[in-house]
Amino acid sequence: MSQLNELKIDNASLSMIAGWLHNGNVIMVEQMPIFGGYIGGIEETAICDVATTLASFTLLNASYHLDGPIHIRWGTTTSRETLQIAGHVAAAIDHNTDLLIANQYYPISGPCTEMCLTEIATQAILDTASGRELMSGCASAKGVLEDHTSGMDARMLGEVAQAAAGMDLGEVNDILQRLLRRYERRFLTAPAGRTFQECYNVRRVTPTKEYLKIYETVVDMLRKQGLDMP
Amino acid sequence: MAPIEKALTVYDTYLRSEKGPNMTENVWDNKVVPDAALRIKEKHEIVFGEDLIPTDRDLIDRLFRAGVDMLVSTGIFNVDSGKVINVTEDEVMAAIRNAPKRIQLGANKDMVLLEPRKGNSRRKPIIQGGPTGATVSEDIFVPMFQSYAQEPVVDTIVNGVMATIDGIPSATNTPFEIKAALAEIRAVREACSRAGRPDIAI
Repeated sequence: MSQLNELKIDNASLSMIAGWLHNGNVIMVEQMPIFGGYIGGIEETAICDVATTLASFTLLNASYHLDGPIHIRWGTTTSRETLQIAGHVAAAIDHNTDLLIANQYYPISGPCTEMCLTEIATQAILDTASGRELMSGCASAKGVLEDHTSGMDARMLGEVAQAAAGMDLGEVNDILQRLLRRYERRFLTAPAGRTFQECYNVRRVTPTKEYLKIYETVVDMLRKQGLDMP
Repeated sequence: MAPIEKALTVYDTYLRSEKGPNMTENVWDNKVVPDAALRIKEKHEIVFGEDLIPTDRDLIDRLFRAGVDMLVSTGIFNVDSGKVINVTEDEVMAAIRNAPKRIQLGANKDMVLLEPRKGNSRRKPIIQGGPTGATVSEDIFVPMFQSYAQEPVVDTIVNGVMATIDGIPSATNTPFEIKAALAEIRAVREACSRAGRPDIAI
């Protein structure tokens, strides 16, 4: 279930949690703090995000907390500001607790584009290196266009996470700056990408040659940036 | 022997939200939360640099303490009762100590363990693949989810929203929302079975 922005809850959510609690279910509580919204700036949003994460475990019987700082203008988790919030909050929770924390993916661009895969890779490096335990994605094209998601997006998420695990933080921060610069000025003209029907053979459930080629281009770029991609 | 601590439950949360201080949502959103965040930012001297992941241990710890301060000094607001739910720092710390440290997701050969990684461990995080709440057409729902379940790096599945059910929009607060939600679960299970991973966690 989801908390409400910011630091709010309703009775329907409490009732759902009660049901899951007695069923013995794993309870994931999510909340996506809005950078630039009620709370304000980067540091204020990060402080509220830590409080929100702790509220999930203190008041809502969470088994794990799903984060997702989101940019009020762009509606993405992959902007510089929201990545910095997520990276700092994960480090603060990870260094001081054993709580299980996750993050979710809302790139601005859509499937079958280099920009979308680069956005996913950037956030995957950040979440892995800042100590998160689970990554959930991807709602490509901000999750607002029907059928603009695909398994290849998750392949990039997983393969980058595998490559980034164990890397030195100084090196990671340098790579993140370089990757961000490749897409952060293109938010206004971000490509919507292709629908699942356009970038997969739907009957055989296989990606098109076009998507495989774009994927390999981004993998090559990530290798050049220092990632040990498979 | 020290008394055994008992972490709060959702029932304590509900009871506190019946008895807490009165508040309006407008004041909470526009004054209480932003004022508290700014005050606590200044009190704990929280200023980020250029790095996206902090390496300054003191800043990391101050941010954690600032978050605890925010939850304890502000609480959370129940929009239905119009009251604030307050917690103590002891209760927050008890919750941290009592929270799950190891969760089994999925079953049989599709089971994975969600455990603390601690820093940038060499262990890959759990990858939960799926549209993360994005809308998916009814007629391609199964292949869409099969495309996630068949990826070896994907450990668990996160759902999407079936746009229609029997061609009718699965609108919120209608019976079709319920029908679509149940159809989603059946379709995701079918997709995972087709990918040879019937017991993967959803």
